[in-house]
Amino acid sequence: MSAPTTAPTRTRTPRRPLLDRLLPVWAVVVFVFLFAPIIVIVVYSFNTGRLLASFDEFGFDSFLALFRKPVLMDAVLVSLRTGAIAAVLATLLGTLAGIALARRPGKWTAWFVGLLILVSVTPEIVDAISLLPWLVFLGQDLGLSIFNDGTVRLVIGHSLFSVAVVSYIVRARLVGLPANLEEASADLYAPPLRTFRKITLPLAMPAVLAGLLLSFTFSLDNTIVSSFVQVSGATPWPVYVLSALRGGLRPEIAAVSTIMLVLTLVALGVVALVLRRAGDSSTQIARTLAGG
Amino acid sequence: MRKARLPGFALAIPAWVWLATFFIAPVAVVFYYSFGYKPGLFGTHATDRLSLDRYVEVLTPTFFETFVATMWIALAGTALCLVIGGPVAYWMAVKAPPSWRGLLLALVLVPFWTNFLVRTIGWQVILAPEGWMSQAAQAIGLPAFDILYTRTAVLLGVVYNYLPLMILPLFVAFDRVGEPLREASRDLGANRLRTFWRVTLPLAQPGIVVGMLLVYIPLMGDYITATVLGGAKGNMVGQMVAAQFQTAQNWALGSAMAVTLVIVIVLSAAVVGGLCWLGTWPLRRANRVVLDAPEEVTA
Repeated sequence: MSAPTTAPTRTRTPRRPLLDRLLPVWAVVVFVFLFAPIIVIVVYSFNTGRLLASFDEFGFDSFLALFRKPVLMDAVLVSLRTGAIAAVLATLLGTLAGIALARRPGKWTAWFVGLLILVSVTPEIVDAISLLPWLVFLGQDLGLSIFNDGTVRLVIGHSLFSVAVVSYIVRARLVGLPANLEEASADLYAPPLRTFRKITLPLAMPAVLAGLLLSFTFSLDNTIVSSFVQVSGATPWPVYVLSALRGGLRPEIAAVSTIMLVLTLVALGVVALVLRRAGDSSTQIARTLAGG
Repeated sequence: MRKARLPGFALAIPAWVWLATFFIAPVAVVFYYSFGYKPGLFGTHATDRLSLDRYVEVLTPTFFETFVATMWIALAGTALCLVIGGPVAYWMAVKAPPSWRGLLLALVLVPFWTNFLVRTIGWQVILAPEGWMSQAAQAIGLPAFDILYTRTAVLLGVVYNYLPLMILPLFVAFDRVGEPLREASRDLGANRLRTFWRVTLPLAQPGIVVGMLLVYIPLMGDYITATVLGGAKGNMVGQMVAAQFQTAQNWALGSAMAVTLVIVIVLSAAVVGGLCWLGTWPLRRANRVVLDAPEEVTA
């Protein structure tokens, strides 16, 4: 990057060290490893056989099953709906908390960060077994019927971890940016709410978007909590797959997965475009996604 | 001049209330249940007599073996992710052409964003003893695959599922060190190994710790991978806890197991962190930079 004004470029020894030649080979091996099962799923979604694992003939039957079996479509829709609501909710709560952590730190921060850490180290299964009796208590013993609704239960279960993650990401983003602009805005007599809307929020935007996307993905992936808190009639996709696992997997599962993979790729592309237009380099995007 | 300001934590209140209602309260209830017992065949829990008996039960060999096995898988999985993902992250951040980075990161993110369960099922298809991979292996004279439903398969699945969570923070850590510092190190006469050992690695260390925690913690609680690839043999603590609630209907014991799991995770992360800190002590000592100028030079 720096301008080569000083030393004249020294001709390097032509033979590159062994390690430099091995590293890309290793990277290729790892990328093949990472994509192997995904490629297998995509290929097997064109399997016309009865069972997923034994490839019969090439065909599109499994994709048509989506229209013949409303259960499949319902499960996917439940997942998408829950994912969208949980992501928006977690992003809202997490963004506000992250801004408070970054801009108004105080004695309370240690306690709150402690809570967030506790939420993020608690394994999903512990959330699952504690939420189930609690939701039953709220819904049936206290008579708050909203907690008997399938979507509400799923959204609650999926939001916990995501709130913590979004808070971290937004905090990390804002801590890296000095508060100069907000101070200038306040000095120029902007009311706090306008400063928040015009300065703080746009600054935090890449992190907010990354948080939204991550929350959505976590929700789509969530299997353990979902399988505990779900009510019949609102079974999300992963729980459907898990129950199908016991009865023998059919190629439809792979077909739906392939469709969802394509949708994910499109979403990923859109977010990358938005972040890039917001001026982030790909490295910054990764930094945001990795939480700091 | 200023009007009354909201307290600093005002914006964090909604998140706090949400987590208090749906995290602290239910977990506290489970913590309370863990001191109870299972009353008779049809009850799930009772708390009229409180004792530590359920914890004693958790520590009996039958159950504790599963804790040890889970920890072994989690530690081995984390170590393998570090060994496999570390060089990839280093290559992506340091050696690969910068213009490739966006694409390479996308390649890591796509598997991460593919459904967890579906990816694992993909491995089930690959490893199936009668699948095409197995047939291909047999065609060239290798024995048929029979690792499905073994601990090896679980370990493979676990490494696969958590590898992106290791590569991403490591990439960020290596990238953060930056070319200028490495260049400076080389200009000051350090060779490549020395630059890696004394500049890149110490500065990337926080990222390495983050990556290890990101893999280790969820891995300890995961049991989906083990269910899909391990069958009955790949027993994990998560499965055991779920079974107490779903089939055995012994909420008191299940709660005690859940609490023990959280304690084991926090303790083992602390112990491993401490060991890493001790293990890198010679490194840090060697890298210590003394900023005070030596007496004889200033004199």
